[in-house]
Amino acid sequence: MMSEESAFHQEFPVAGGDFTRAGKVSCEIKNLVKELGLSDRVVRRIAIASYEAEMNIIMYARAGRLDLSITPDRVQIVVEDSGPGIEDVELAMTEGYSTATPEMRELGFGAGMGLSNIKKNADIFEINSEVGRGTKLQITFLTNGQRA
Amino acid sequence: MTTLQGHAIHISLDKCRGCVHCMTACPTQAIRIKDGKALIAGDRCIDCGECIRFCPNDAIDSRTTSFQDLSAFKYKVAIPATVLYGQFDNASLPSEILFALRRVGFDYVYELSTICELNTAAIEKYIDGHPRPRPLIASVCPVVVRLIQRRFPSLCENIIPIEPPREIAAKILRANLPRILKIAPADIGIIHITPCPAKMVSINYPVSMEKSYLDGAISIRDIFNPIFQALRQTKEEAIMSRLFPETIFSGIGMGTALSGGETRGLKTHRTVAVSGVRDTMRVLDQVETGLLKDVDLLECMVCPDGCVGGPLAVENRFLAKSRILRLVNLLGERTVMDSSDINALFHKDFLSFQNPIKPIQAHPLDDDAGRAIQKARRRTRLIRQLPGKDCGACGAPDCRTLADDIIRDLAAVSDCPFMKEAK
Repeated sequence: MMSEESAFHQEFPVAGGDFTRAGKVSCEIKNLVKELGLSDRVVRRIAIASYEAEMNIIMYARAGRLDLSITPDRVQIVVEDSGPGIEDVELAMTEGYSTATPEMRELGFGAGMGLSNIKKNADIFEINSEVGRGTKLQITFLTNGQRA
Repeated sequence: MTTLQGHAIHISLDKCRGCVHCMTACPTQAIRIKDGKALIAGDRCIDCGECIRFCPNDAIDSRTTSFQDLSAFKYKVAIPATVLYGQFDNASLPSEILFALRRVGFDYVYELSTICELNTAAIEKYIDGHPRPRPLIASVCPVVVRLIQRRFPSLCENIIPIEPPREIAAKILRANLPRILKIAPADIGIIHITPCPAKMVSINYPVSMEKSYLDGAISIRDIFNPIFQALRQTKEEAIMSRLFPETIFSGIGMGTALSGGETRGLKTHRTVAVSGVRDTMRVLDQVETGLLKDVDLLECMVCPDGCVGGPLAVENRFLAKSRILRLVNLLGERTVMDSSDINALFHKDFLSFQNPIKPIQAHPLDDDAGRAIQKARRRTRLIRQLPGKDCGACGAPDCRTLADDIIRDLAAVSDCPFMKEAK
Protein backbone atom coordinates (compact mmCIF):
# COMPACT_ATOMS: atom_id res chain seq x y z
CA MET A 1 0.00 0.00 0.00
CA MET A 2 1.07 3.49 -0.75
CA SER A 3 1.86 5.96 1.96
CA GLU A 4 -0.62 8.72 2.77
CA GLU A 5 1.72 11.40 1.43
CA SER A 6 1.66 10.01 -2.08
CA ALA A 7 -2.13 9.74 -2.26
CA PHE A 8 -4.20 12.06 -4.40
CA HIS A 9 -6.29 14.48 -2.34
CA GLN A 10 -8.86 16.99 -3.37
CA GLU A 11 -11.48 18.86 -1.40
CA PHE A 12 -14.81 19.76 -2.97
CA PRO A 13 -16.95 22.25 -1.05
CA VAL A 14 -20.72 22.01 -1.55
CA ALA A 15 -23.18 24.77 -0.59
CA GLY A 16 -26.50 23.77 0.94
CA GLY A 17 -29.52 24.69 -1.20
CA ASP A 18 -27.43 25.30 -4.31
CA PHE A 19 -29.50 23.23 -6.74
CA THR A 20 -28.11 25.04 -9.77
CA ARG A 21 -24.74 23.39 -9.22
CA ALA A 22 -26.20 20.01 -8.36
CA GLY A 23 -24.08 17.20 -9.80
CA LYS A 24 -21.01 19.34 -10.59
CA VAL A 25 -18.82 17.87 -7.85
CA SER A 26 -19.77 14.24 -8.44
CA CYS A 27 -19.21 14.73 -12.15
CA GLU A 28 -15.73 16.07 -11.50
CA ILE A 29 -14.96 13.13 -9.22
CA LYS A 30 -16.29 10.70 -11.83
CA ASN A 31 -14.10 12.16 -14.58
CA LEU A 32 -11.07 12.11 -12.33
CA VAL A 33 -11.38 8.42 -11.45
CA LYS A 34 -12.01 7.63 -15.12
CA GLU A 35 -8.70 9.25 -16.03
CA LEU A 36 -6.94 7.19 -13.42
CA GLY A 37 -7.89 4.14 -15.43
CA LEU A 38 -10.31 2.46 -13.00
CA SER A 39 -12.77 -0.02 -14.48
CA ASP A 40 -16.16 1.20 -15.73
CA ARG A 41 -18.01 -0.64 -12.97
CA VAL A 42 -16.06 0.99 -10.15
CA VAL A 43 -16.33 4.38 -11.85
CA ARG A 44 -20.08 3.96 -12.06
CA ARG A 45 -20.38 3.03 -8.37
CA ILE A 46 -18.23 5.99 -7.34
CA ALA A 47 -20.27 8.31 -9.57
CA ILE A 48 -23.60 7.22 -8.11
CA ALA A 49 -22.46 7.30 -4.48
CA SER A 50 -20.79 10.70 -4.75
CA TYR A 51 -23.83 12.15 -6.51
CA GLU A 52 -26.13 10.96 -3.70
CA ALA A 53 -23.75 12.36 -1.10
CA GLU A 54 -23.51 15.69 -2.88
CA MET A 55 -27.30 15.90 -3.17
CA ASN A 56 -27.77 15.12 0.52
CA ILE A 57 -25.70 18.19 1.40
CA ILE A 58 -27.54 20.39 -1.11
CA MET A 59 -30.95 19.24 0.05
CA TYR A 60 -30.55 19.09 3.81
CA ALA A 61 -27.39 20.82 5.07
CA ARG A 62 -26.21 24.41 5.33
CA ALA A 63 -22.83 23.54 3.90
CA GLY A 64 -20.50 20.63 3.55
CA ARG A 65 -17.74 19.09 1.54
CA LEU A 66 -16.55 15.93 -0.14
CA ASP A 67 -12.95 14.98 0.58
CA LEU A 68 -11.62 12.68 -2.07
CA SER A 69 -8.48 10.64 -1.54
CA ILE A 70 -7.14 8.05 -3.92
CA THR A 71 -4.42 5.46 -3.47
CA PRO A 72 -3.70 2.58 -5.85
CA ASP A 73 -5.88 0.20 -3.85
CA ARG A 74 -8.75 2.40 -2.72
CA VAL A 75 -10.85 5.46 -3.40
CA GLN A 76 -12.26 7.13 -0.33
CA ILE A 77 -14.77 9.94 -0.06
CA VAL A 78 -15.33 11.53 3.32
CA VAL A 79 -18.48 13.62 3.36
CA GLU A 80 -18.95 16.11 6.17
CA ASP A 81 -21.73 18.59 6.56
CA SER A 82 -22.98 21.08 9.06
CA GLY A 83 -26.68 20.51 9.09
CA PRO A 84 -29.60 19.15 11.09
CA GLY A 85 -28.07 15.69 11.54
CA ILE A 86 -30.08 12.49 11.43
CA GLU A 87 -32.18 11.44 14.42
CA ASP A 88 -32.62 7.79 13.60
CA VAL A 89 -29.76 6.65 11.38
CA GLU A 90 -31.11 3.12 11.05
CA LEU A 91 -34.47 4.42 9.85
CA ALA A 92 -32.79 6.87 7.46
CA MET A 93 -30.86 3.99 5.94
CA THR A 94 -34.09 2.18 4.98
CA GLU A 95 -34.89 2.23 1.30
CA GLY A 96 -37.78 4.57 0.59
CA TYR A 97 -37.51 6.50 3.85
CA SER A 98 -37.26 10.21 3.15
CA THR A 99 -37.74 13.53 4.87
CA ALA A 100 -37.77 15.41 1.58
CA THR A 101 -40.28 18.21 1.25
CA PRO A 102 -42.99 18.06 -1.45
CA GLU A 103 -41.01 20.72 -3.41
CA MET A 104 -37.93 18.52 -3.47
CA ARG A 105 -39.98 15.53 -4.57
CA GLU A 106 -41.51 17.59 -7.34
CA LEU A 107 -37.99 18.21 -8.61
CA GLY A 108 -37.46 14.47 -8.66
CA PHE A 109 -35.36 14.31 -5.50
CA GLY A 110 -35.96 12.64 -2.19
CA ALA A 111 -37.08 9.19 -3.26
CA GLY A 112 -35.57 7.90 -0.03
CA MET A 113 -32.85 6.02 -1.82
CA GLY A 114 -29.94 8.31 -1.02
CA LEU A 115 -28.14 6.78 1.97
CA SER A 116 -29.09 3.21 1.15
CA ASN A 117 -27.92 3.77 -2.41
CA ILE A 118 -24.55 5.05 -1.19
CA LYS A 119 -24.16 2.02 1.06
CA LYS A 120 -25.16 -0.34 -1.75
CA ASN A 121 -22.50 1.07 -4.06
CA ALA A 122 -19.69 1.33 -1.51
CA ASP A 123 -17.40 -1.45 -0.27
CA ILE A 124 -17.10 0.05 3.19
CA PHE A 125 -19.63 2.53 4.54
CA GLU A 126 -19.59 4.36 7.84
CA ILE A 127 -22.00 6.96 9.08
CA ASN A 128 -21.90 9.21 12.14
CA SER A 129 -24.50 11.80 12.78
CA GLU A 130 -25.17 14.23 15.58
CA VAL A 131 -28.54 15.96 15.76
CA GLY A 132 -28.18 19.72 15.41
CA ARG A 133 -24.56 19.52 14.30
CA GLY A 134 -24.17 17.46 11.16
CA THR A 135 -23.43 14.19 9.49
CA LYS A 136 -20.20 12.48 8.48
CA LEU A 137 -20.01 9.68 5.93
CA GLN A 138 -16.97 7.64 5.10
CA ILE A 139 -17.41 5.91 1.75
CA THR A 140 -14.68 3.53 0.61
CA PHE A 141 -14.24 1.69 -2.67
CA LEU A 142 -11.64 -1.06 -2.76
CA THR A 143 -10.06 -1.00 -6.17
CA ASN A 144 -7.06 -3.21 -5.37
CA GLY A 145 -5.15 -1.67 -8.20
CA GLN A 146 -7.87 -3.06 -10.48
CA ARG A 147 -7.55 -1.55 -13.92
CA ALA A 148 -9.86 -1.37 -16.86
CA MET B 1 -4.18 18.06 -46.42
CA THR B 2 -4.41 15.45 -43.75
CA THR B 3 -7.18 13.03 -43.02
CA LEU B 4 -6.92 10.99 -39.88
CA GLN B 5 -7.29 7.26 -39.92
CA GLY B 6 -10.74 6.37 -38.65
CA HIS B 7 -12.15 9.86 -39.13
CA ALA B 8 -13.77 12.04 -41.76
CA ILE B 9 -12.77 15.50 -40.52
CA HIS B 10 -9.74 17.00 -42.22
CA ILE B 11 -7.98 20.33 -42.12
CA SER B 12 -6.62 22.08 -45.21
CA LEU B 13 -3.30 23.37 -43.92
CA ASP B 14 -3.03 25.99 -46.66
CA LYS B 15 -6.26 27.59 -45.46
CA CYS B 16 -5.68 27.13 -41.74
CA ARG B 17 -4.44 30.33 -40.09
CA GLY B 18 -3.85 28.81 -36.69
CA CYS B 19 -6.51 30.84 -34.91
CA VAL B 20 -8.22 29.29 -31.90
CA HIS B 21 -11.85 29.08 -33.06
CA CYS B 22 -12.00 25.36 -33.81
CA MET B 23 -9.87 24.51 -30.80
CA THR B 24 -12.11 26.24 -28.28
CA ALA B 25 -15.27 24.95 -29.99
CA CYS B 26 -14.20 21.31 -29.82
CA PRO B 27 -16.30 19.60 -27.12
CA THR B 28 -13.77 16.80 -26.54
CA GLN B 29 -10.62 18.97 -26.48
CA ALA B 30 -9.27 17.11 -29.51
CA ILE B 31 -7.67 20.10 -31.28
CA ARG B 32 -4.30 21.74 -30.62
CA ILE B 33 -2.49 24.49 -32.50
CA LYS B 34 1.04 23.34 -33.28
CA ASP B 35 3.45 25.45 -35.37
CA GLY B 36 0.63 27.77 -36.37
CA LYS B 37 -1.71 25.06 -37.66
CA ALA B 38 -4.63 23.17 -36.15
CA LEU B 39 -4.07 19.49 -35.48
CA ILE B 40 -6.70 16.92 -34.51
CA ALA B 41 -5.95 14.15 -32.03
CA GLY B 42 -7.60 11.10 -33.58
CA ASP B 43 -8.21 9.29 -30.31
CA ARG B 44 -10.26 12.19 -28.93
CA CYS B 45 -12.18 13.26 -32.06
CA ILE B 46 -15.78 12.04 -32.30
CA ASP B 47 -16.45 13.58 -35.76
CA CYS B 48 -19.23 15.84 -34.48
CA GLY B 49 -18.22 18.61 -36.86
CA GLU B 50 -18.38 21.50 -34.37
CA CYS B 51 -15.00 22.64 -35.73
CA ILE B 52 -16.46 22.83 -39.25
CA ARG B 53 -19.12 25.25 -38.00
CA PHE B 54 -16.68 27.51 -36.20
CA CYS B 55 -13.77 27.75 -38.67
CA PRO B 56 -13.82 31.28 -40.13
CA ASN B 57 -11.51 30.30 -43.01
CA ASP B 58 -13.35 27.26 -44.37
CA ALA B 59 -10.24 25.24 -43.64
CA ILE B 60 -12.08 22.31 -42.07
CA ASP B 61 -14.14 19.94 -44.10
CA SER B 62 -15.12 16.34 -44.01
CA ARG B 63 -14.14 13.64 -46.45
CA THR B 64 -17.36 12.57 -48.12
CA THR B 65 -18.05 10.75 -51.38
CA SER B 66 -17.43 12.87 -54.48
CA PHE B 67 -19.33 12.78 -57.75
CA GLN B 68 -16.31 11.19 -59.45
CA ASP B 69 -16.46 8.33 -56.98
CA LEU B 70 -19.95 7.60 -58.25
CA SER B 71 -18.68 6.69 -61.71
CA ALA B 72 -17.38 3.42 -60.25
CA PHE B 73 -20.97 2.18 -60.20
CA LYS B 74 -23.14 1.30 -63.18
CA TYR B 75 -26.31 1.77 -61.20
CA LYS B 76 -26.49 4.58 -58.69
CA VAL B 77 -28.98 4.67 -55.86
CA ALA B 78 -29.53 7.65 -53.56
CA ILE B 79 -30.93 7.42 -50.04
CA PRO B 80 -31.36 11.06 -49.01
CA ALA B 81 -31.75 11.96 -45.34
CA THR B 82 -35.17 13.57 -44.84
CA VAL B 83 -33.26 16.75 -43.89
CA LEU B 84 -32.85 17.29 -47.65
CA TYR B 85 -36.57 18.14 -47.93
CA GLY B 86 -36.05 21.25 -45.84
CA GLN B 87 -33.16 22.68 -47.87
CA PHE B 88 -34.80 24.25 -50.92
CA ASP B 89 -37.00 27.28 -51.18
CA ASN B 90 -37.88 26.46 -54.78
CA ALA B 91 -39.39 23.08 -53.99
CA SER B 92 -41.94 22.41 -51.34
CA LEU B 93 -42.72 18.76 -51.97
CA PRO B 94 -40.35 15.86 -51.31
CA SER B 95 -41.40 14.23 -54.57
CA GLU B 96 -40.03 17.20 -56.52
CA ILE B 97 -36.70 16.89 -54.77
CA LEU B 98 -36.53 13.16 -55.34
CA PHE B 99 -37.40 13.75 -59.00
CA ALA B 100 -34.55 16.29 -59.23
CA LEU B 101 -32.14 13.78 -57.69
CA ARG B 102 -32.76 11.52 -60.67
CA ARG B 103 -31.92 14.42 -62.99
CA VAL B 104 -28.69 14.92 -61.11
CA GLY B 105 -27.58 11.43 -62.06
CA PHE B 106 -29.10 8.84 -59.77
CA ASP B 107 -30.86 5.90 -61.37
CA TYR B 108 -33.00 5.26 -58.35
CA VAL B 109 -33.97 7.13 -55.20
CA TYR B 110 -35.16 5.52 -52.01
CA GLU B 111 -37.28 7.59 -49.66
CA LEU B 112 -36.24 7.28 -46.04
CA SER B 113 -39.21 8.53 -43.97
CA THR B 114 -40.98 5.15 -44.08
CA ILE B 115 -37.86 3.43 -42.76
CA CYS B 116 -37.56 6.10 -40.05
CA GLU B 117 -41.08 5.14 -39.00
CA LEU B 118 -40.05 1.47 -39.01
CA ASN B 119 -37.08 2.37 -36.81
CA THR B 120 -39.29 4.16 -34.28
CA ALA B 121 -41.66 1.17 -34.15
CA ALA B 122 -38.73 -1.22 -33.66
CA ILE B 123 -37.35 0.96 -30.84
CA GLU B 124 -40.75 0.79 -29.14
CA LYS B 125 -40.77 -3.01 -29.41
CA TYR B 126 -37.28 -3.21 -28.00
CA ILE B 127 -38.19 -0.97 -25.04
CA ASP B 128 -41.23 -3.11 -24.26
CA GLY B 129 -39.17 -6.29 -24.33
CA HIS B 130 -36.37 -4.94 -22.15
CA PRO B 131 -37.40 -3.53 -18.75
CA ARG B 132 -33.74 -2.83 -17.92
CA PRO B 133 -31.50 -0.85 -18.14
CA ARG B 134 -33.01 2.63 -18.08
CA PRO B 135 -32.77 4.96 -19.82
CA LEU B 136 -32.29 3.18 -23.11
CA ILE B 137 -30.43 5.39 -25.55
CA ALA B 138 -31.29 5.63 -29.25
CA SER B 139 -28.38 4.96 -31.61
CA VAL B 140 -29.42 6.83 -34.75
CA CYS B 141 -26.81 9.58 -34.29
CA PRO B 142 -23.41 7.98 -35.01
CA VAL B 143 -21.60 10.66 -33.01
CA VAL B 144 -23.56 9.78 -29.88
CA VAL B 145 -22.47 6.15 -30.25
CA ARG B 146 -18.83 7.23 -30.60
CA LEU B 147 -19.15 9.68 -27.72
CA ILE B 148 -20.57 6.99 -25.43
CA GLN B 149 -17.84 4.49 -26.40
CA ARG B 150 -15.09 6.95 -25.50
CA ARG B 151 -16.47 9.26 -22.83
CA PHE B 152 -19.27 7.26 -21.19
CA PRO B 153 -18.14 3.64 -21.67
CA SER B 154 -20.37 2.30 -18.90
CA LEU B 155 -23.42 3.42 -20.92
CA CYS B 156 -22.65 1.18 -23.92
CA GLU B 157 -25.12 -1.33 -22.52
CA ASN B 158 -27.87 1.33 -22.61
CA ILE B 159 -27.62 1.76 -26.39
CA ILE B 160 -30.57 0.24 -28.26
CA PRO B 161 -29.04 -2.35 -30.62
CA ILE B 162 -31.13 -1.45 -33.65
CA GLU B 163 -29.51 -0.27 -36.87
CA PRO B 164 -30.32 3.29 -37.99
CA PRO B 165 -32.78 3.87 -40.88
CA ARG B 166 -30.07 4.63 -43.46
CA GLU B 167 -28.45 1.22 -42.96
CA ILE B 168 -31.78 -0.64 -42.92
CA ALA B 169 -32.80 1.07 -46.17
CA ALA B 170 -29.49 0.10 -47.80
CA LYS B 171 -29.85 -3.44 -46.49
CA ILE B 172 -33.31 -3.72 -48.07
CA LEU B 173 -31.96 -2.41 -51.38
CA ARG B 174 -28.94 -4.74 -51.32
CA ALA B 175 -31.21 -7.70 -50.73
CA ASN B 176 -33.58 -6.88 -53.56
CA LEU B 177 -32.11 -4.66 -56.28
CA PRO B 178 -29.66 -7.18 -57.88
CA ARG B 179 -32.54 -9.62 -58.35
CA ILE B 180 -35.07 -7.06 -59.59
CA LEU B 181 -32.68 -5.22 -61.91
CA LYS B 182 -30.58 -8.26 -62.86
CA ILE B 183 -27.42 -6.28 -62.16
CA ALA B 184 -24.34 -7.61 -60.37
CA PRO B 185 -24.32 -6.45 -56.70
CA ALA B 186 -20.89 -4.83 -57.15
CA ASP B 187 -22.24 -2.60 -59.92
CA ILE B 188 -24.85 -1.07 -57.65
CA GLY B 189 -23.70 1.93 -55.63
CA ILE B 190 -25.91 2.88 -52.68
CA ILE B 191 -25.18 6.40 -51.51
CA HIS B 192 -26.55 8.26 -48.51
CA ILE B 193 -27.11 12.01 -48.86
CA THR B 194 -26.47 13.66 -45.55
CA PRO B 195 -25.87 16.85 -43.55
CA CYS B 196 -23.56 14.90 -41.21
CA PRO B 197 -19.77 14.44 -41.32
CA ALA B 198 -19.90 11.34 -39.14
CA LYS B 199 -21.98 9.25 -41.56
CA MET B 200 -18.88 8.70 -43.67
CA VAL B 201 -17.07 7.43 -40.59
CA SER B 202 -19.92 5.08 -39.72
CA ILE B 203 -19.76 3.73 -43.29
CA ASN B 204 -15.98 3.32 -43.45
CA TYR B 205 -15.47 2.23 -39.85
CA PRO B 206 -18.74 0.67 -38.67
CA VAL B 207 -18.99 -0.28 -35.00
CA SER B 208 -22.10 -2.48 -34.89
CA MET B 209 -21.56 -4.45 -38.11
CA GLU B 210 -18.75 -5.99 -40.12
CA LYS B 211 -19.42 -3.91 -43.21
CA SER B 212 -21.80 -1.04 -43.90
CA TYR B 213 -24.57 -1.64 -46.44
CA LEU B 214 -23.86 1.81 -47.85
CA ASP B 215 -21.13 2.57 -50.40
CA GLY B 216 -20.68 6.19 -49.47
CA ALA B 217 -22.20 9.46 -48.36
CA ILE B 218 -22.49 12.70 -50.30
CA SER B 219 -22.81 15.88 -48.29
CA ILE B 220 -25.78 18.17 -48.81
CA ARG B 221 -23.20 20.94 -49.28
CA ASP B 222 -21.83 19.18 -52.37
CA ILE B 223 -25.13 18.18 -53.92
CA PHE B 224 -27.11 21.31 -53.10
CA ASN B 225 -26.28 23.26 -56.24
CA PRO B 226 -26.89 20.44 -58.75
CA ILE B 227 -30.30 19.80 -57.17
CA PHE B 228 -31.07 23.51 -56.96
CA GLN B 229 -30.27 23.94 -60.68
CA ALA B 230 -32.27 20.85 -61.63
CA LEU B 231 -35.26 22.18 -59.70
CA ARG B 232 -34.95 25.56 -61.43
CA GLN B 233 -34.71 24.19 -64.94
CA THR B 234 -37.59 21.82 -64.61
CA LYS B 235 -40.66 23.78 -63.69
CA GLU B 236 -42.71 21.53 -65.93
CA GLU B 237 -41.17 18.49 -64.42
CA ALA B 238 -42.41 19.65 -61.07
CA ILE B 239 -45.91 19.09 -62.37
CA MET B 240 -44.89 15.70 -63.73
CA SER B 241 -43.30 14.76 -60.41
CA ARG B 242 -46.61 15.40 -58.73
CA LEU B 243 -48.30 13.08 -61.23
CA PHE B 244 -45.67 10.42 -60.59
CA PRO B 245 -45.32 10.46 -56.83
CA GLU B 246 -42.05 8.72 -56.03
CA THR B 247 -43.33 6.96 -53.00
CA ILE B 248 -45.45 7.18 -49.88
CA PHE B 249 -44.18 9.48 -47.15
CA SER B 250 -44.54 8.91 -43.44
CA GLY B 251 -45.48 11.76 -41.13
CA ILE B 252 -43.92 10.04 -38.13
CA GLY B 253 -40.75 9.25 -40.11
CA MET B 254 -40.46 12.75 -41.57
CA GLY B 255 -40.20 14.24 -38.09
CA THR B 256 -37.11 12.23 -37.14
CA ALA B 257 -34.91 14.83 -38.86
CA LEU B 258 -35.76 17.06 -35.91
CA SER B 259 -34.84 16.68 -32.26
CA GLY B 260 -37.72 14.90 -30.53
CA GLY B 261 -38.65 13.13 -33.75
CA GLU B 262 -37.88 9.64 -32.57
CA THR B 263 -39.65 10.12 -29.27
CA ARG B 264 -42.74 11.60 -30.97
CA GLY B 265 -43.73 8.19 -32.29
CA LEU B 266 -43.77 6.73 -28.78
CA LYS B 267 -47.02 7.45 -27.04
CA THR B 268 -47.02 5.36 -23.89
CA HIS B 269 -43.38 5.69 -22.81
CA ARG B 270 -41.51 8.29 -20.86
CA THR B 271 -39.09 9.93 -23.26
CA VAL B 272 -36.51 12.70 -23.21
CA ALA B 273 -35.01 14.34 -26.30
CA VAL B 274 -31.70 16.21 -26.15
CA SER B 275 -29.88 18.02 -28.93
CA GLY B 276 -26.53 19.77 -29.23
CA VAL B 277 -23.23 18.14 -28.37
CA ARG B 278 -22.57 19.92 -25.08
CA ASP B 279 -26.09 19.37 -23.78
CA THR B 280 -25.85 15.74 -24.82
CA MET B 281 -22.65 15.38 -22.80
CA ARG B 282 -24.27 17.08 -19.81
CA VAL B 283 -27.22 14.69 -19.85
CA LEU B 284 -25.03 11.61 -20.36
CA ASP B 285 -23.02 12.76 -17.34
CA GLN B 286 -26.27 12.73 -15.36
CA VAL B 287 -27.17 9.27 -16.62
CA GLU B 288 -23.77 8.02 -15.46
CA THR B 289 -24.42 9.36 -11.97
CA GLY B 290 -27.62 7.32 -11.83
CA LEU B 291 -30.19 9.89 -12.94
CA LEU B 292 -32.96 9.56 -15.54
CA LYS B 293 -33.68 6.03 -14.34
CA ASP B 294 -37.41 6.56 -14.81
CA VAL B 295 -36.96 7.52 -18.47
CA ASP B 296 -37.56 4.76 -21.04
CA LEU B 297 -35.98 6.36 -24.08
CA LEU B 298 -33.30 9.01 -24.23
CA GLU B 299 -32.89 10.45 -27.70
CA CYS B 300 -29.61 12.32 -28.15
CA MET B 301 -28.61 14.16 -31.29
CA VAL B 302 -25.37 16.10 -31.21
CA CYS B 303 -26.41 18.68 -33.79
CA PRO B 304 -28.52 21.60 -32.59
CA ASP B 305 -32.23 20.83 -33.17
CA GLY B 306 -31.29 17.39 -34.53
CA CYS B 307 -29.99 16.32 -37.95
CA VAL B 308 -31.57 19.41 -39.47
CA GLY B 309 -28.74 21.35 -37.78
CA GLY B 310 -26.01 19.19 -39.32
CA PRO B 311 -22.82 21.06 -40.25
CA LEU B 312 -22.93 19.87 -43.88
CA ALA B 313 -26.45 21.21 -44.48
CA VAL B 314 -26.83 24.39 -46.52
CA GLU B 315 -30.09 26.04 -45.47
CA ASN B 316 -30.14 27.63 -42.02
CA ARG B 317 -31.65 25.17 -39.63
CA PHE B 318 -34.55 27.34 -38.54
CA LEU B 319 -35.93 27.65 -42.06
CA ALA B 320 -35.20 24.00 -42.78
CA LYS B 321 -36.95 23.01 -39.58
CA SER B 322 -39.98 25.12 -40.42
CA ARG B 323 -40.28 23.46 -43.86
CA ILE B 324 -39.99 19.99 -42.39
CA LEU B 325 -42.53 20.79 -39.68
CA ARG B 326 -44.93 21.86 -42.41
CA LEU B 327 -44.45 18.49 -44.09
CA VAL B 328 -44.95 16.72 -40.77
CA ASN B 329 -48.22 18.59 -40.25
CA LEU B 330 -49.28 17.91 -43.81
CA LEU B 331 -48.66 14.19 -43.45
CA GLY B 332 -50.03 14.02 -39.92
CA GLU B 333 -49.70 11.09 -37.56
CA ARG B 334 -50.60 8.66 -40.31
CA THR B 335 -48.41 5.58 -40.26
CA VAL B 336 -47.54 3.84 -43.48
CA MET B 337 -45.75 0.70 -42.26
CA ASP B 338 -47.80 -2.41 -41.68
CA SER B 339 -47.54 -3.52 -38.06
CA SER B 340 -47.29 -7.22 -38.97
CA ASP B 341 -44.40 -6.39 -41.34
CA ILE B 342 -42.67 -4.53 -38.51
CA ASN B 343 -43.20 -7.53 -36.23
CA ALA B 344 -41.79 -9.95 -38.78
CA LEU B 345 -38.67 -7.83 -39.47
CA PHE B 346 -38.12 -7.27 -35.78
CA HIS B 347 -38.30 -10.95 -34.87
CA LYS B 348 -36.18 -11.99 -37.85
CA ASP B 349 -33.44 -9.79 -36.36
CA PHE B 350 -33.36 -7.94 -39.66
CA LEU B 351 -33.09 -4.65 -37.79
CA SER B 352 -30.60 -5.61 -35.04
CA PHE B 353 -26.93 -4.87 -34.58
CA GLN B 354 -24.56 -7.63 -35.66
CA ASN B 355 -22.11 -6.76 -32.91
CA PRO B 356 -22.70 -5.08 -29.56
CA ILE B 357 -21.19 -1.62 -29.04
CA LYS B 358 -17.99 -2.01 -27.06
CA PRO B 359 -16.39 0.62 -24.83
CA ILE B 360 -13.18 2.22 -26.07
CA GLN B 361 -10.91 2.88 -23.14
CA ALA B 362 -9.71 6.46 -23.10
CA HIS B 363 -6.00 6.77 -22.36
CA PRO B 364 -5.57 6.83 -18.59
CA LEU B 365 -3.00 9.22 -17.15
CA ASP B 366 -0.68 6.25 -16.74
CA ASP B 367 -0.92 2.47 -17.01
CA ASP B 368 0.43 2.13 -13.49
CA ALA B 369 -2.05 3.12 -10.79
CA GLY B 370 0.58 4.71 -8.52
CA ARG B 371 2.11 6.76 -11.31
CA ALA B 372 -1.37 7.82 -12.53
CA ILE B 373 -2.08 9.21 -9.04
CA GLN B 374 1.26 11.07 -9.02
CA LYS B 375 0.42 12.61 -12.39
CA ALA B 376 -3.04 13.66 -11.19
CA ARG B 377 -1.38 15.38 -8.20
CA ARG B 378 1.08 17.15 -10.45
CA ARG B 379 -1.73 18.25 -12.73
CA THR B 380 -3.72 19.74 -9.82
CA ARG B 381 -0.61 21.74 -8.82
CA LEU B 382 -0.08 22.89 -12.40
CA ILE B 383 -3.69 24.00 -12.80
CA ARG B 384 -3.23 26.17 -9.70
CA GLN B 385 -0.05 27.73 -11.15
CA LEU B 386 -1.34 28.44 -14.67
CA PRO B 387 -3.03 31.83 -15.18
CA GLY B 388 -6.53 30.42 -15.77
CA LYS B 389 -7.21 32.78 -18.66
CA ASP B 390 -8.02 29.93 -21.08
CA CYS B 391 -6.69 32.12 -23.91
CA GLY B 392 -5.45 29.33 -26.15
CA ALA B 393 -2.14 31.06 -26.92
CA CYS B 394 -0.19 27.98 -25.78
CA GLY B 395 -1.91 25.87 -28.43
CA ALA B 396 -4.24 24.07 -26.00
CA PRO B 397 -7.88 25.14 -25.62
CA ASP B 398 -7.67 25.98 -21.89
CA CYS B 399 -5.30 25.94 -18.94
CA ARG B 400 -6.62 22.66 -17.59
CA THR B 401 -6.03 20.91 -20.90
CA LEU B 402 -2.51 22.39 -21.09
CA ALA B 403 -1.82 20.98 -17.62
CA ASP B 404 -3.12 17.64 -18.80
CA ASP B 405 -0.91 17.77 -21.90
CA ILE B 406 2.13 18.65 -19.77
CA ILE B 407 1.77 15.63 -17.48
CA ARG B 408 1.26 13.45 -20.56
CA ASP B 409 4.53 14.87 -22.00
CA LEU B 410 2.71 16.48 -24.92
CA ALA B 411 3.43 20.09 -23.94
CA ALA B 412 5.69 22.14 -21.70
CA VAL B 413 5.01 24.79 -19.05
CA SER B 414 7.00 27.23 -21.23
CA ASP B 415 4.29 26.95 -23.93
CA CYS B 416 2.25 29.34 -21.78
CA PRO B 417 3.25 32.94 -22.59
CA PHE B 418 2.21 34.14 -19.13
CA MET B 419 4.40 31.59 -17.38
CA LYS B 420 7.36 32.82 -19.44
CA GLU B 421 6.76 36.38 -18.25
CA ALA B 422 6.65 35.25 -14.67
CA LYS B 423 10.13 33.78 -14.95
